[in-house]
Amino acid sequence: MKSTKQKQIIKILIYILIPVVIVAGATAFGTKKYAFLSIVVMLLACVPFFVSFEKKNAKVERMLALAVLTAISILGRYIFGFIPHFKPITAMVIITGIYMGGEMGFLCGALSAVVSNFIFGQGPWTTFQMFAWGFTGLMAGVFAKQLKENKPALLLYACLAGLSYSLMLDVWSTIWAEGEFNIKRYVGYIITSIPTTLTYIVSNIMFLLILTRPIGEKLDRIRKKYGI
Amino acid sequence: MEILRVENLDFTYPDSKTKVIDDISFSVNEGEFIVVMGESGCGKTTLLKCLKKEIAPHGEKSGNIIFSGKNIEEMEQRESAASIGYVLQRPELQIVTDKVYHEMAFGLENLGLSVEEMRLKVGEMASYFGLDKVYRSDTDTLSGGQKQLLNLASIMVMSPKLLLLDEPTSQLDPIAASEFIATLQKINRELGTTIIIVEHRLEELFSVADKVMVMDSGKLLMNNAPKTVATKLKGHKMFAAAPTAVRIYQSLDVNCECPINVREGRNFLQTHFGGEKIRKSSIGNVRENIIENEKQGEKDVKSELELQICENKANTKKETSIKPGAKLVLQDIWFRYEKHTPDVLRGVNLTINEGEIFAILGGNGSGKTTTLNVALGLLNPYKGKVIINGKPIGKYKSAKLYKNNLSVLPQDPQTLFTEKTVELDLMQAIDISGEAVKKVHKEVEKEVEKTEIATTKLSQVQINKISQQLGIKHLLQKHPYDLSGGEQQKVALAKILLRNPKVILLDEPTKGIDSCAKEELSSIIKELSKSGITVVMVTHDVEFCAITADRCGLFFDGNIMSVTTPTKFFNVNNFYTTAASRMSRDIFDGCVTVNDVVNACVNNLQ
Amino acid sequence: MKVFENYHPIVLFIYFISVLVIAMFETNPVILGLTLLGGVLFALLLVEKKRFVKDLVMILPFMLLVALTNPLFSHNGVTPLFFLNGNAVTLEAILYGIDIAAMIMAVIYWFKCYQEVFGSDKFLYLFGKIIPKVALVISMTLRFIPLLRRQYKKIADAQKCLGMYEDKSIIDKAKVVMKNVSILITWSLENSVDTSMSMKARGYGIKGRTNYHNFKIHKMDKILLIITLLMDVTVFTGMITGNTTFWFYPEITAIKTTLLAFTSYLAHAVLSFTPFIIELKENLKWKYYVWKI
Repeated sequence: MKSTKQKQIIKILIYILIPVVIVAGATAFGTKKYAFLSIVVMLLACVPFFVSFEKKNAKVERMLALAVLTAISILGRYIFGFIPHFKPITAMVIITGIYMGGEMGFLCGALSAVVSNFIFGQGPWTTFQMFAWGFTGLMAGVFAKQLKENKPALLLYACLAGLSYSLMLDVWSTIWAEGEFNIKRYVGYIITSIPTTLTYIVSNIMFLLILTRPIGEKLDRIRKKYGI
Repeated sequence: MEILRVENLDFTYPDSKTKVIDDISFSVNEGEFIVVMGESGCGKTTLLKCLKKEIAPHGEKSGNIIFSGKNIEEMEQRESAASIGYVLQRPELQIVTDKVYHEMAFGLENLGLSVEEMRLKVGEMASYFGLDKVYRSDTDTLSGGQKQLLNLASIMVMSPKLLLLDEPTSQLDPIAASEFIATLQKINRELGTTIIIVEHRLEELFSVADKVMVMDSGKLLMNNAPKTVATKLKGHKMFAAAPTAVRIYQSLDVNCECPINVREGRNFLQTHFGGEKIRKSSIGNVRENIIENEKQGEKDVKSELELQICENKANTKKETSIKPGAKLVLQDIWFRYEKHTPDVLRGVNLTINEGEIFAILGGNGSGKTTTLNVALGLLNPYKGKVIINGKPIGKYKSAKLYKNNLSVLPQDPQTLFTEKTVELDLMQAIDISGEAVKKVHKEVEKEVEKTEIATTKLSQVQINKISQQLGIKHLLQKHPYDLSGGEQQKVALAKILLRNPKVILLDEPTKGIDSCAKEELSSIIKELSKSGITVVMVTHDVEFCAITADRCGLFFDGNIMSVTTPTKFFNVNNFYTTAASRMSRDIFDGCVTVNDVVNACVNNLQ
Repeated sequence: MKVFENYHPIVLFIYFISVLVIAMFETNPVILGLTLLGGVLFALLLVEKKRFVKDLVMILPFMLLVALTNPLFSHNGVTPLFFLNGNAVTLEAILYGIDIAAMIMAVIYWFKCYQEVFGSDKFLYLFGKIIPKVALVISMTLRFIPLLRRQYKKIADAQKCLGMYEDKSIIDKAKVVMKNVSILITWSLENSVDTSMSMKARGYGIKGRTNYHNFKIHKMDKILLIITLLMDVTVFTGMITGNTTFWFYPEITAIKTTLLAFTSYLAHAVLSFTPFIIELKENLKWKYYVWKI
């Protein structure tokens, strides 16, 4: 009882904290400091998921599955190294979300961002990647039923995930380069990043088409075996 | 003082009717070193797990397990976790964290110790196990032996009273395995920790143990001092797993105390058979000829022996006669992994003939696995030529090399499995348009009338044939990961054989399998070689090599040295040789296997 | 040789956060310039020379692009230099672009230094206190990555030698790789049973878990912490009182020369150059010892 109440309070606090930080930051430091604020907001948005994972009496097997899936999604970059820009993180996160639930999807996405940047370099972009991938996994969990049964839905989601990831990171690039959100620059970034976005989308579709079923079966077997 | 008492323990897995553990009772005194032996699937691992509350398997259980006067079910969490330690088989997979120090502290963190307390204990254990130099390293950079020591150390920091080990050395090379067992002995002697170990490698453990327990289909067959067990083992399946000295003693019918290690074995041989050393130089050749004769199906070894002894000189040239048609040729191979690293292979030359069983022996990192990978075309030498089946390896177009031609059984058979059941997995390996299928097609056509036979039927026939040959028919419907190590090995071999290879390379084929499975594997390999398949294996296992290979070579300093027959090879070597050879050295010449020594003794008695 | 990494993680974290926050909040060119210079000099000592040059070659054109494209998107400012497609290109916009570019570059360099100094063990120590379970999962992930990478290689080799797949086109290759990934997932999920047993056997899950670490607070940590906090206070005082405030739009403000402004700049210089000086001093000391031998 107590822990759920605590969780609620923390969640509410976080969602109050986000706008407060925005307002306070904007008034105290002038409107030019979106870059910093956006980082803080992104980070705060991830906090409830981490906190609820901490509070839950998570099974050891669940933690291990999360670590394994995260490790594989990061390794994908090395495994698929022969195709430029092919990063299976998004696809792995989606599969995790569908078969292990939204929370695991979010954590897999967020942790993939953190851990892969241990290798490729942390930066302010880490928090954006955390949120972007985490959100993709979360939503995959929310629509798990449709995505499992309906192939077109899965493909649509694959496209959307690739697109939204790209759009989200372009927001970051814009704020980063401008100090504030300039729509013209944003459009400019979107246009220049079309080829990359397309590779994201194509790779997501390919990966999900081929691997959703086999990986899903394995995750189901593990889930049943250990009651995760 | 009694530390552990098991009373009438029964255990049955869910969805199963047979008891895995059937009315087992025993008692263990503090400070005892106990070895548990038994065939795989006899329930020894389940027994061990039942003793550790945290990982006890789910199922129907009855009986009591009393640890230090308390039923383990009633033990407090903290006490139970700390006072009973458990080490598993595969060193890689037990490591949880990324840093050595963190791994060692993991158990203490769970117990909730303060940082100061942990520092003291972790530091102490790190120095005790010689892990202080790698204290801050990534766990992944350790060698296999070090990893297993780390696993042991991270349990020993919790100062357990009882240590349970489930085949801890089966994945290690012989040197690391001996080191590990020596460490266990040290712990047992210096810290007084009680040890119960399940193990296949018993050569050294028999002389270390206070008691040996033998299990058979869920029952505790024996629980006695090693010497007593050794004398009673004859006739049992597990006899094959007993130390060399015991097996020799048991085959000889001599009335004296049973020797259980090389030293005692030597004394035994010296007192009963030494002295005159008659006919000593003949034995080695006798053995080779016996093998030859066995192949021809002759049974009467004894009379044959005498015959061979008379004409031994005439038959010494076996290894020089090279059969026509070299299947695998390595010509002056030079290889290094990176531009600025030293050469791993330095001008390797090797010719392997059709139908031959060739073993490459050598220590860790000597380059034997690299040689294997070069022969497989996975690594490209910067100088030299690999010729497979009379054609340079570069001339094969990608996948063609591995079609009806060259195959490898990897160290980890799990890398081959792709499907949900063994049958589906084997099915997947069948190349429908392949040579093998056509061959079967013809056979089937002969038997059945000329009708159209569906390809699935053909696959079925092939799978039936191969699974009969390897004795895996009862496994076809199981998930490949639910099989034991030895079974996985056989299924993997079946999958490879379905690719219809002419040359098979085996990478450490005896890793992690028990002695019965080893004997089986040896005879399977001999069968294959009889049917014309060339077998090349890379192994640490000198005993296996001695009973299986036609020729062998030692890999050292980037090259293959002293290529010769196992008999000659092991006779020349002083350390890198079989226990039988070490035991009979200077008493009989040319004996490398238990049978050799026994034959020599029998011969000497006459 | 790195000395700065020997500081306590909490102190280091506060230090890096201070520098980065100031870099992101400040538009003042003096302060940004000092931050950038401090970061670049520190990186020069930490990063291998070859890589340093390579990085610089990659970063500079990008920064130039940011600086030059700013006037295209922003037409604020009161000093038009010329007109492009009917839009004014102002001096302010150009200068602001350069300022922003300097800010980005400073942040990138400071993150580079962070990467060199702040290893995963420090990260896990910090977050292990706040979110222990997540930190453990991260540690497990870091342990699995090299293990699974090796296992993947083994799987790929074993599957290749079965000779069942063609690998002529990139599509074929991708298919083979996906198959291998699927095998890798089975392998790792099935075998993680051993890992879970090893965790449970060592009592994972008992309430009141603590966190082990190798860090101790030394005198040097206290000194660095005090310097950092003092300088932070001074710089922020300068900011809040408006002494170091700087605007580009609509008109460039003059750089103030009050005492407090100068104190602020000095404080920030101390903050930015501290790691460089510490590292340089130790390097020279070391060289001296070697020379004496």
